[in-house]
Parts: sequence; C-alpha cells; structure tokens
Amino acid sequence: MDFQPTLPIPISFISGRYLLFSIDFVTYLRREHNICGVLTGTLPQIPQQNVFLGLPLELMPEEARVLVDKGVACIVDEAKAHQGMQSLLEEDRRKYLRELESQGLHASRIFAERKGQKKAETLKKIAEKKAKGKAQAKPQSEESVNAATATSEPSAANDEPASVVDFFAGDTPTPSTSSKGTSTGTPAAQAFHVTPATSYPPLPDPTTSSELIVFRPDVPSSYPLFAHMHSRGYFLSPGLRFGCQYVAYPGDPLRFHSHFLVVSSEWDQEIDLMDIIIGGRLGTGVKKGFLLGGPRQAKTEDGSEIERTESVRTFSIEWAGM
Amino acid sequence: MADADEDVIRAPGADTSQIDTDLSDETQDFRLLSHLNLYVPPTLTDTTSTSLPKRGEKDFEPNPTEFQADVLSASRQAMHNALAHPRIHNTKNRVIGIYAPDGPIFPDGYVETPKDVGKGVGVAPDCCIYIPSAKGSVFQGIGQADRWNRLWLLPEEALYMIERGSLDIRWPTSMTGTTEEEEGDLSIPMSLQAAYACMLGRAGLTMERYTVYTGLKRLGYSVFRASGWDDSAKPETPTTGDEPDAYTEPRQRGPGLSGILSCIANWMDDPFSTASPAAGPLVGCGIHRSYGDVYRRMSLIPWYDPTLAPQRDPLDTIAPFRVVFHVYKPSTSVKRSALPSPDFRIAVVNTREQTTIPTLPQLSALLQGTPIDPPTGEKMERLMYMRLRHGYRNVVLAVVDQGVSSFLRIGDAAFGKEKMYDSKNAPRGQKKHGNYKPRKR
Repeated sequence: MDFQPTLPIPISFISGRYLLFSIDFVTYLRREHNICGVLTGTLPQIPQQNVFLGLPLELMPEEARVLVDKGVACIVDEAKAHQGMQSLLEEDRRKYLRELESQGLHASRIFAERKGQKKAETLKKIAEKKAKGKAQAKPQSEESVNAATATSEPSAANDEPASVVDFFAGDTPTPSTSSKGTSTGTPAAQAFHVTPATSYPPLPDPTTSSELIVFRPDVPSSYPLFAHMHSRGYFLSPGLRFGCQYVAYPGDPLRFHSHFLVVSSEWDQEIDLMDIIIGGRLGTGVKKGFLLGGPRQAKTEDGSEIERTESVRTFSIEWAGM
Repeated sequence: MADADEDVIRAPGADTSQIDTDLSDETQDFRLLSHLNLYVPPTLTDTTSTSLPKRGEKDFEPNPTEFQADVLSASRQAMHNALAHPRIHNTKNRVIGIYAPDGPIFPDGYVETPKDVGKGVGVAPDCCIYIPSAKGSVFQGIGQADRWNRLWLLPEEALYMIERGSLDIRWPTSMTGTTEEEEGDLSIPMSLQAAYACMLGRAGLTMERYTVYTGLKRLGYSVFRASGWDDSAKPETPTTGDEPDAYTEPRQRGPGLSGILSCIANWMDDPFSTASPAAGPLVGCGIHRSYGDVYRRMSLIPWYDPTLAPQRDPLDTIAPFRVVFHVYKPSTSVKRSALPSPDFRIAVVNTREQTTIPTLPQLSALLQGTPIDPPTGEKMERLMYMRLRHGYRNVVLAVVDQGVSSFLRIGDAAFGKEKMYDSKNAPRGQKKHGNYKPRKR
C-alpha cells in the first residue's frame, strides 16, 4: 500500500545544495531510511507562518552521502537536466499539458463539492437554529430538554467553520457567484491551473541518464559519527540552534523528543575540558545527553568513509549535579 | 501556553514572536493542519478540534506497541497530505509570469532606439521573471515595473511567489519550442523544481540567502537587497588604500597608553608641582566632597567609544560578513522608489562555509558600515541596561545551518559612556553625597 519508488531516487543538486521536491520520495526516505532533512519551503495552504513548512526538503550533505552509499539515491545536476526542456517532444508536451489540465479539473471539482457541502451544512445549521427557536417558544418541559440535547451538537459543529481556514477566500472576491454555480450541481466552468512540484514528467527520468548523475557528496569530518548514529536507527537533524552538530532522535521527530546532542571529534584531537563541561551542562539542562564521538581510524586516502564509520566510538556525558 | 499554541495554528497570521518558545524549533505535528486539506474529506479529519494534540505531546522512545505505530503513521500521513497539497490557481486570479533566462528583455516587436543603449529595459539586471500585466495586492513591495507596464521580479521574489502558490511561471517559448496556436496559450508551466533549478545560484542568490528571505517574508517583513548583495562589489572611492580586512584601531576616549606614559614623563619633569601624582597619590590630597570627582581623576584606562569610530562604506567588507538584506517591520510602510532607513540590516552566514565567529576586524568593518543608531527614547534614557543592549550601531547575523536559521543581533555597546558614578541610579550605599555630612551638634 505504501509507495515504493524505483531506486535510486534522484536527489536534486542545485547551487551546491541537496534538495527533494517529490513528496513521495520525502515520505519514503522518512519511513524506510530514517532521513528527515529540513523542510524549507512555504506551505501554499498557510503561507504566512514559519511553524509548518513545505517542500522542498533540504538534505544535509551527510544525509545525501548516506543515501548514495547505500545505493538508495543518486545526485542529479538539476540545472543541466532542465536544459532538456529545449528538446522536449511535441507529443510529450501535449501529453503533459493534458495531464496538468485534468489535475486542475479534479481540483476544481473537489473544491466545488466542498463548497457545496459547506453551504449545505450552513443551511442545515440555520434550519436547526430556527427549529430550536420555535421549540423554545413552546414552554413545554419535554421539548426544552430535547432542544438542549440538540443544541449541544450544533455547538460542536460550530467550532469547525472557525477552525477551517478557507484558503480560497482571497481568491474568490465574489463568493456569491461561485456558490451559485455549485448549488446547481454543475461542475465549475473552468479548471484550476496547477503548478506542479516536480519536472518529471515532462522531463525524462534523470536516473537513467549517466551524464546527469554527479559525484558522491562531499562531507565534513563529522561524517563517520553521523553514519554510525544513522546506522543505529537514529534520526539526525542539524543541531546548531541546540549548540551541537547534530540532534539525535530515537525515532521519527514527528513523535519523539531528541535524546542526544551530538558533537564529533577526531580520535587524537585534544578536547578542552571546558567544552565537555559546557556540553554536559547544556545537554542536561534540556533533558538530553551530550554525546561525544569519533572514528578511531584516521582519514583514508581514497575518501571512503566505510572503515572509519565502523571504528566510531561514542561517549555520552551527563551532568550529575549532587 | 497551550492556548497560545492553538492560537498560532488557528490564526496563522498571528504574531508568533510574542510566544517565548519558538515553535519552529521542533518538528510539529502535521495533523494540526489536516483541516486545511482540500483532498481529505472533512469526515476524515478530526473535527472535534477540542482534542488537538498539544505541543510536547511526544513519546520518550519507540516501543513495539501498535498504538504507537498507528499514531506515528497517522502523523506521517497527515504530513504527507499537507505537503502533497498542490499549488492551485483560480482562473480569475491567476497571475502568469514569464521566465526570461537572459535577464530583462524588450517586449516582442519593440525596436531598440539609440536612447535605450546602456539603459536597457530600466529594471535591475538581475531580474529574470516578468509579469506581462500586473495587478492585485499580492505583489505589493515586490518587483519593479518597466515602461511597458510589465512587472519584473528578482529571482528570490519569483521563487517565493511560486512557492506560496501565488504565481504561475511559464517557460518562454524560445526555450521549449513553439506549439501551433490552436488553443492560444500553450506555454508550459514551470514546476517548483524547475524554478529552483533556474533561480538558485543566479545573481548571488544562495540557498542560505533564500532561506532567510522567505523566512522573513512569511512573517510579514519587507525584505530588500542591500548594496552588499554582490560579493565582489567594492566601494567606489577606496578608503585610504586600506585592505578591507585591515583593522583600524578605533579612537578611544581617555589618555591611552602613550598618553599615560607622556603624563608620567611630565610628572617626572616637574616632580615638585603640587598637582603631580608622582609626588603623591593619584587622586591627590585635599578635601574631596564628591565621589564623582574622585572617580573622574581615577579614570586612566582608555575606553572604546563607538560614536567616534570612523564611518565606513558598507561595501568595504568581506562576505559573508556584509549586509545583504535591508528589512522593514510589517508596520513600516515601504515604497520601493523611496526606501526609508531599514529597521534591520542582515548579513547571512552559512555554517558549513564559515565555522568560526567573526574576527574583530570583520565585525568592526561590518558594524562601521552601518549608520549610527544611538539608543534614544524615553525608555532608553531611563534604563541603562536597555541602552547597553541596544548599542550605538547594530547588525543582525542570520546563521543558517542546513536550512535552519538562527538570528543574532550584534550591538556596538559603549560601557565607557555609562558613568556609574554620574548616573542617578548609581548605587551609593549609605554614604550619600560623599563623606562629608553636616551634623548638628
């Protein structure tokens, strides 16, 4: 039932960053490979806030590297791939435009339906209110009890329109005319126009073309620790605002709080005792452990990080104030 | 706190800055959004909104219960639905922009006159999207109009507009080949992915700058490029041949080290002067009626006065520590033709490229490129710590760590200007007005 993409997944490499635009890939990587990334885009439903963000998803180079090394994903030079727009076949272009049109029609039909439902609900509510008013006019005890039970229902329903933000409100300055169309049951006259999230289609699958696929992502020296934690099932996010390199979550950050503030170090690197104390206090202060770790093996010449990842050791430091 | 959380969700336009915890610090539960989704029938969404999950309602760690698995998959599904929501344009209010890959171009059929040479279309050369007939208020504070009533957008503006679903960008027919005109408009809409591929990296627009730009735009600020946008831009009149990173010793109040030495030399020369500290204590003998005078005579150590620091050209700095955005609060009315002095100046730093905090030369160059902004106002005059915090110049560093941005405000504080012994609120202890106390006998 869950979406299974054909591997490898193309990761867009744009201006030195690793981005994902397809929601199916985002969900898949989160579910199967513990990769969250950071959502950086604006949600078109509620654009004026920063709490919920949308596509694209920005991946750390470490995340991209883990996926590439596992063979789950490959890196696609997106600027180059989009030059393919020039050589698009007439046939493909038509097919694509038709596809978009049908998506738009689908959206406008649902929108019209929803509008009709809402209208029906409102009408029903008004009717109920009227009925209630009549019931109250009769001073009979039995009926007033009935009315009381009846009012409890609409009050629950009353909450709903307040919480439903009609994101088309701004788009339809004359709601009376558009609802007229829906009340008669005819589909909306014109299809909506859709801005697709990805360019595939109309462009051909980039993973099949070898010239679009570029290098293995460059990673910082903290990569072995990242890969080690990731292989143990942790979800890792960038950690600067928590004062560390990565924040490690035991499960999907949607449902779990993080457990560790992760800082990487080289094996022979001298560590200032103060840094350990600072990290330990900081971590304990936010109910997380301070995790210090690094590979025992020095950097190899071929740049492969596999052996180094296997040699990682980690230490967790907690401030045990007495 | 719980109420505040829900308010944020219910009223997306609400000012989130008033909440002391930053909700965007954590991954929020997307189920809160399911009522916004067009494709999920309302019967499937949780309409009994009384049971909205509160912030912090997360589990400690995964356990093998089915309950937990169900909640997680519901959360993921909600996230999927929210993110899968398409960007739809109603026919009536659709705004179409056209991509101009080579920058501003003249309209079709327009013959360039000699007058146009060197002037071009008359908009910023970095613009790459134009809207043939601009209307509507969505584009307030965005874009530049040319002589043909076309609105030209900068890459970040266009990208932000397509991302929030307010703009439908088309590939130019020159790039996709022409189609026979049977239904009129057959240009291909640009996908979000294509827009990113075309705009990012264009004319200095990095992902970090874009992240900061949209983050502020979403909160309602007006954001404009500052002169330091172009990394290679140099000041027009080079200042005294200094290297941009050369640290010019700021002028200091007080005698300074050489001052002290010369003072001492003077005292040596004239050891018999009664005023000479060489012959006696620093403060000198005599009757002292106020601590103020005593402290003043003791203030030998020089201090840094930001108001005396030289004003530098904002371009006399090195990226990333240079101002790239001018930001205005939502309450400030902004007209692009006559921009007032910005409320904030922002420099954008990428943590993966700049791993250290700025050096003193970098920081002073950055600060000296901003105009003096002394602490004024009734509150500032009353509260010394507010004055210290505000400083005499200020700049905001936006530090972006892989898509997560943090904002730091750097103020040029002047501790030397706050004379504790002069201030009304100075701690005086029991000895008011010095040692001398008239006593009644």
